[in-house]
Formats: sequence, C-alpha cells, structure tokens
Amino acid sequence: MIAINNLNFGYSKHSLLFKDMSMQLSAGHIYGLLGKNGAGKSSLLKNIAGLVYAQSGSLNVMGFNPAKREPELLADICFIPEEFHLPSIKIDAYIKANAPFYKKFDHAYLNVLLEEFNIPISNKLVNMSYGQKKKFIIAFGLATQAKLIIMDEPTNGLDIPSKAQFRKVMASALTDDRCIVISTHQVRDLDNLIDTVIMLDESTIALKASIEEITQKLTFKKMKELDETVIYAEPALSGFNVVVPNYHQEDSKMDIELLFNAVLAEKKKLKPIFN
Amino acid sequence: MNNTFNFNRFWLLVKRQWLEFGKIYLISLLVITGVFVLFYSWNFPDPDKDYRYNSDGFLNLYFRIPLFLTLGFIFISVIASSYFSMLGQKAKAIIELMAPASSLEKWLCGLFYTSILSVFSFLLVFYIVDLTFVTYIEKSIGHITFSTTSGPFPTPKTGVIGIRTLFSELLAHKEMRPMYGIPFMITSIFLLGSVYFNRFHYIKTAVVTMLFCSGLIYALVKVGMWLTLHKVQDSANFGYRSHNDEVFIYILMGTAFITLFFWAITFFRVKEKEV
Repeated sequence: MIAINNLNFGYSKHSLLFKDMSMQLSAGHIYGLLGKNGAGKSSLLKNIAGLVYAQSGSLNVMGFNPAKREPELLADICFIPEEFHLPSIKIDAYIKANAPFYKKFDHAYLNVLLEEFNIPISNKLVNMSYGQKKKFIIAFGLATQAKLIIMDEPTNGLDIPSKAQFRKVMASALTDDRCIVISTHQVRDLDNLIDTVIMLDESTIALKASIEEITQKLTFKKMKELDETVIYAEPALSGFNVVVPNYHQEDSKMDIELLFNAVLAEKKKLKPIFN
Repeated sequence: MNNTFNFNRFWLLVKRQWLEFGKIYLISLLVITGVFVLFYSWNFPDPDKDYRYNSDGFLNLYFRIPLFLTLGFIFISVIASSYFSMLGQKAKAIIELMAPASSLEKWLCGLFYTSILSVFSFLLVFYIVDLTFVTYIEKSIGHITFSTTSGPFPTPKTGVIGIRTLFSELLAHKEMRPMYGIPFMITSIFLLGSVYFNRFHYIKTAVVTMLFCSGLIYALVKVGMWLTLHKVQDSANFGYRSHNDEVFIYILMGTAFITLFFWAITFFRVKEKEV
C-alpha cells in the first residue's frame, strides 16, 4: 500500500531528518510509529500524506505520488493531525459539508461511532472540549471508509475511558484492505492495538518488526540478577525488567515501553537480531 | 475520476468553504453597509443650505467617490487577504490541504470568493445604498431649480436640479472603463499575499506592494530621465499627439497582465504549499 524508497527529507538542506529511508507498509495492519521527540514521526506521516515534499527519493501511496495531492488519493486517506481546527458550526452541518467528498462515506457507521464516543450530533464543534473534538474527527475519518488511516498522537487529550474506547474502535476498524499508521510517544496507549512496531531514531528506521516477530526473537521478563544474556534492563521492584534474546522459545508479553527504551539504548545489540 | 477538475467537486468545495469563509464575508459586508448608511446620512443634503450642483444641473455628492474607493479597497483587500490565510496555520492547513479536491479547484474557489463574489457584492451593496438615498433625495429636491452659465460653453442654463447614482456618473465617463480591471488586480495581489505569508498577511502584503510600487516608480523616473534629459526638445507642443485611447488600452492590458500573473503565482503556491 505504501512504498518508501531512499527517502531523503529535512526542513533544511544541510540537516536531513531522514536519510535514504526505505520501507513498505501493507494493508491489513496497524502500525505503531514510535520515536523520541523530534525523531521525525510527524514528518514521516506528513510525507506519506503529501503535506511536505522530500528532497529526493520516491513515495508511492496506493499507486499515487502523494505530493500531487490528487482528489482520488485524498479521498482514500484519513489524516488525524495532532493539532487541528474545526469550524464553529454544528456537527451535522460539518458532516453535510464534508461527507459528500467521500463516495464511500458511511453515515450509519458514523452515528455508531459518535454514540460510542458519547458525542451528541446536535453539538456545536466550537463548544466541545479538545478531547471531544478529537473523538469527533476520528469518528468522521473512520466513517469516510478511507483505506489509509494516519493518526498523529491520536490519544493526546483523551481521558482514560476515551483511550480505552479509542483502542476498541481502532481494533474494530481494521479490515484486510485498510492500513492504519498511528504515531505516538505515549507508547503504552498502543498496547494490544498495534501489530507492527516501527521505531525511528537518528534519521533512520531503528526497528520495523511485527509483535509476533519481536516476541519470537526477544523475551520480556523480570530477573532478580542480571546476567550476560541481558540486552537491556531497567530497575524494578524486587529486581529488573529485562529484554533478553528468546533462545528457548519462551512465551512473553511484549512490554512496548521497555522495547522502546531498549532500541534507543542498545541499538547495536538489537540490530543483528532483527536482520 | 477526473483528478484535475470536476464541477460537482468544485461546487461542493464552494459550499464547504462558505461555512468558514462565509461568516467573515457576511460580517464584513454588514459592516461596510453600515458605514455607507452612516456616511450618506451624515452627508445628506440640507434643504436650509444651498445645494451644490454641476453645470448639467446634477447635485454633487462629493463624498461618494472617496467613500467608494476607500471602502472598496479595504473590503476587497481584507477579504482576499483572509482567504488562504488558514494555510499559514498548521492546525487549519492540514485539514484544508487534505480535503479531497484538486489544487486547481481550491484555487478557483479562492478566485470565486475573492475576485467575483467580494467585488460584485460590494458593487451591489454600494449601488443599493446609493440608489436608495438618491431616490429619497430626488423626491425632496424635485422642485428646486438651478441656473448656471458655467461649463465648457457658457450658455445660460436653467432647470430642475437632478441627481444621479454614482455608477451613472462614472459610467458616463469613457475614461473610467480601463479602471474596471483594478479591483481584480488588487484582489489578486492580496490573495497571493494570503498564501505567500504565514502570518500578518495583510500588513506584509501592503508593505511589500508599497515598497515594490515605490521602487518601480523611482526606477521608471530615473530611467526616463536618463533616456530623455537634455536629449529631447523640452517643448510641450513638439510633435505632440494625443494618444488618450491608447493609454487607456495600455492601462487595461497592464492591469489584466498583472492580475493574471499574480493569479498564476497563487495557483503554484497553493499547489506546492507545505505544512
């Protein structure tokens, strides 16, 4: 669905944010895009959506060059930005003005989502809280039936029940012909939601692997004392939370935060495991 | 799907833009209508004082031309300057650029609102207010006579004082016709400013335009002096021939060229806008 080849991008010619980045993203997956502040998560999403232009390299999104911003592609992309502005009108007026652009727009599904998020359709957008607005644009975006869903920090501003609602809605929104990319620095919010992790660090992709592959190759567990097999460890109550190679095919639940810190701290040790 | 232009999509965009832009536009229109009414009321001819009329016996309302020009400039330039201003704000720009319409449609929608709707609605509002007051004044002065010997041929003339709408006065002068392109030139400059600058669009556009015009006038004067000073006979009658009609055509062509030039740059700025 998305093919990125040798992408070079930066906000100035002298310091590139991405150097020769290549990656393929397929339909039927929920990708979690992780990285430190300033690692380029939002910039990568903007490149995919055609909101910024790369210095060199190629980007192919569903057979289109996103930089051309062709309506056919735009109608198949749902981009939920971190910061957004909605006009001061009622929800139904917004839907009436925007939904006709999307041929596959599902009004019934939108009503279901708005009900799930507890947002009355008679509300005026300007009177809603940031969290409610965010839930509204997520609901609207999903109702467009776009094949590519891009979300930049979608859980920012959502309260704890809303985060659970969000995870439930997103899990049910995944279909075989849909690709969902979610960027966040709040890695715990993506627990049990994503099926593939993409981690950006130092102008490149530090890790791209499915949860299955990660848990096949690594074990996340607690140890009382550290040994030489430990790749990364963090002090915890009565011992350490550790990441170790999965030599004995042990079953473990991936600790996304631990993995994130491990990748940032021990990139050299992890690289051979995933290559 | 036609990814360049589709009339149905264009019309949807016009309706969608109205939600955001319509409010600014209607409020501005209401304000200028109020200002017109105030000016006309304030300058209403006083029956106790002498009426001022021209050699043809038409009542002079001297405030109308400066009022028309000043408010006209402010109205159309403010509207044009605000149209693409949202592209300078990240929160609004992403939503706007991701709307499934082509760059051509977004640009044409901008031209429709700034150069067609704003210019013609201003003319209409001015005409209605002017006509209302003219009709009212006409009724109150219908019996007053005038007597004059002034004019190009000082023949004594008497009759009943009349009054014309400003447009009837202006249309009577053939020399005004080349000026018809000027409102479109003004809107094209400010529309470009609205997409070119990210903040303070109006002030920056006004300052840049003033500096450019000053520089151009200075350069033209200097080049003109360098080409002609002490090189041609300094006589008003030497080989002089009136080219008034040609001058007017050149003015019209010049404004049309500048307008089209700025519109074209605006199109490319919209097409290549990054967030």
